[in-house]
Amino acid sequence: MTSRERMKVMLEIRNLHAKVDGKEILNGIDLDIRAGEVHAIMGPNGSGKSTLSYVLAGREGYEVTEGTIRFKGRDLMEMDVDERAAAGVFLAFQYPLEIPGVTTMTFLKTALNAQRKARGEEELDAVRFLKLVREKAKPLNVTDDMLKRALNVGYSGGEKKRAEVLQMSLLEPALCVLDETDSGLDIDALKTVAEGVNALRSPERAMIVITHYQRLLDYIVPDVVHVLSKGRIVKTGGKELALELEKSGYAGYGADAA
Amino acid sequence: MNDKATANFVTAFETVGNELPGAGSWLARRRADAIEAFAEAGLPHRRLEDWKYTDLRQALDKAAFAPAPRHEAAVILPETPAATAFAGIDAHRLVFVNGRFHEGLSDTARLPKGVELHRLADVLSEQWAKALIERRMDEARQAENIVELNTALMADGMALRIRKGVRLDKPLHLVFVAADAGASHTRNLMLLEEGAEASILESHLGGKAALADIVTDIELGADATLRHAKLQDETADSVHLSTLRATLAGKSRLESFTLTLGCGLSRAQNFIRFAGEGAHASVDGAYALRAKQHFDTFSVVDHAVPGCTSHTMFKGVLDGEAEGVFQGKVIVRPDAQKTDGRQMTQALLLSRDASMNAKPELEIYADDVQCAHGSTVGELSKDAIFYLRSRGIPEAEARRLLVLAFLDEAIELAPHEASRGIFRDLVSGWFGEVAA
Repeated sequence: MTSRERMKVMLEIRNLHAKVDGKEILNGIDLDIRAGEVHAIMGPNGSGKSTLSYVLAGREGYEVTEGTIRFKGRDLMEMDVDERAAAGVFLAFQYPLEIPGVTTMTFLKTALNAQRKARGEEELDAVRFLKLVREKAKPLNVTDDMLKRALNVGYSGGEKKRAEVLQMSLLEPALCVLDETDSGLDIDALKTVAEGVNALRSPERAMIVITHYQRLLDYIVPDVVHVLSKGRIVKTGGKELALELEKSGYAGYGADAA
Repeated sequence: MNDKATANFVTAFETVGNELPGAGSWLARRRADAIEAFAEAGLPHRRLEDWKYTDLRQALDKAAFAPAPRHEAAVILPETPAATAFAGIDAHRLVFVNGRFHEGLSDTARLPKGVELHRLADVLSEQWAKALIERRMDEARQAENIVELNTALMADGMALRIRKGVRLDKPLHLVFVAADAGASHTRNLMLLEEGAEASILESHLGGKAALADIVTDIELGADATLRHAKLQDETADSVHLSTLRATLAGKSRLESFTLTLGCGLSRAQNFIRFAGEGAHASVDGAYALRAKQHFDTFSVVDHAVPGCTSHTMFKGVLDGEAEGVFQGKVIVRPDAQKTDGRQMTQALLLSRDASMNAKPELEIYADDVQCAHGSTVGELSKDAIFYLRSRGIPEAEARRLLVLAFLDEAIELAPHEASRGIFRDLVSGWFGEVAA
């Protein structure tokens, strides 16, 4: 038994099938993710990458028709969206939503205290919260001005992704799911975001990095790479698999999964 | 006259008319004319364009309010957050119970020099009061006609005159409370002379099934400023009928904001007329309605002269089977060049059975103007709720945040800074009750 296999599985997905708008998108996914690991999920457009992330977060309209998902030993499908978040599941959105009228600061405080309350922890008062946010925001280059503005409203693509990583850093989830975090970012913004994500890597935390391109994985180096095609994992390997895909593309994988 | 409720008011006039202020004066004749005009037209109903969405006749037929009695016992304010909302604000206070001034609950002992505050009956012989009462805007006749009922039956009210250049040192808080069932007719007059300045807060509180019929007549002299914030929260078996009429001289400024938590049926009418250049009027509001509440905002802003600006924004949330109505008209006369007129109505439906009717209108006869109007009706974004929940915010809290954020754009327009926080808390509390 390798050391990896001895570690406890945090997320266990078995034979997962899911439908969106009556259409089968996931066709039997099996996946084990352990604390401390970073898994990349790559695949062509339409392979089910984003669907998997929404199923994990519990989005309405993403119907699981078969299979199980266990998170830290609990049945994830039995949990509400906000319950999952409080239990430690975090989805960094590909397109973070703009919420006019709710300042980023208010949003962060409400979210953090809601999670603390759900876990039976003491809520943070304004002073302690402010100190914590500033401390977390600084390395991500999230300014006070951004924090005072309405959540994601008028943020650039880079600012939105940095704000997502700030949320992640503040909420300290056990499982981070990053959905196409590289989309819409130039190379400098990508580096800042990747540094923020890397700073959050820890032996207690697992990450799923969903991406179409290998580029992101130069900066967030995964332990395991999976190739998703037509709703199934068709190949699993080490980080070198991503480089291989960069060269050969996904052409060979569409046919395998049929 | 062909309906029961109209007949009721005529009977009331015949019974109590002689005891009303102004007997034997010009007003007695005016009242007689008014009740005659009212009786001939009858209470408004939905076949009239200005009342298309609000059947006042039917509502009053059903409720059949008798004149509210003089309240004898100690007054107990309703135990609602709205009743105490403004209590913490240092203000001169005037309390009306069942439409009549209540000296014991009022505090107006320390008014600055140049601020004259009286009861309606005490100013009836003064020309300015007569001019305000007799004034008509006439731009929406069917809507303004209902003022005749008030003129015929008005029993009391406040008359405020602020002399040239005088500033009211702290807000004047008007409290109207229905301690007994029945109809009350109140007339408030406000004259701010050149350069005068005042802040008015109004609380309309219900305890019993009542008809509150309130007309507020405002005249602003040149450079005068009036800030006005109104809060309405009455019982589900009540009817609220209010009309604000204001004439603005050059460079004067009216900022009016209303938070409506409503009652059974509310109709709030605003008639604004610019009489001098460079004046500004904002007539804004937010509302939160539930169950079978009905709220109709009817607003006419008349740019009769050049170079004035106006702003009307109403934002509301409707739950249960609540019905919202917005009818707004901005008129820009041929000479009124350089007008800037803005009008916006936005509603959020929180339930499938709630509804909203909006009719924003622009009537523009000048060519060098900037006018805009808009109307939206929508529901809370499912994606936004999912996003907030995915960060651990429970659904009810996510909805509350989004509703407050939606209304906040309007609440930000409330003219007293202190009132904004109060309004936010009231809406937040309202939402808590809905979600519970």
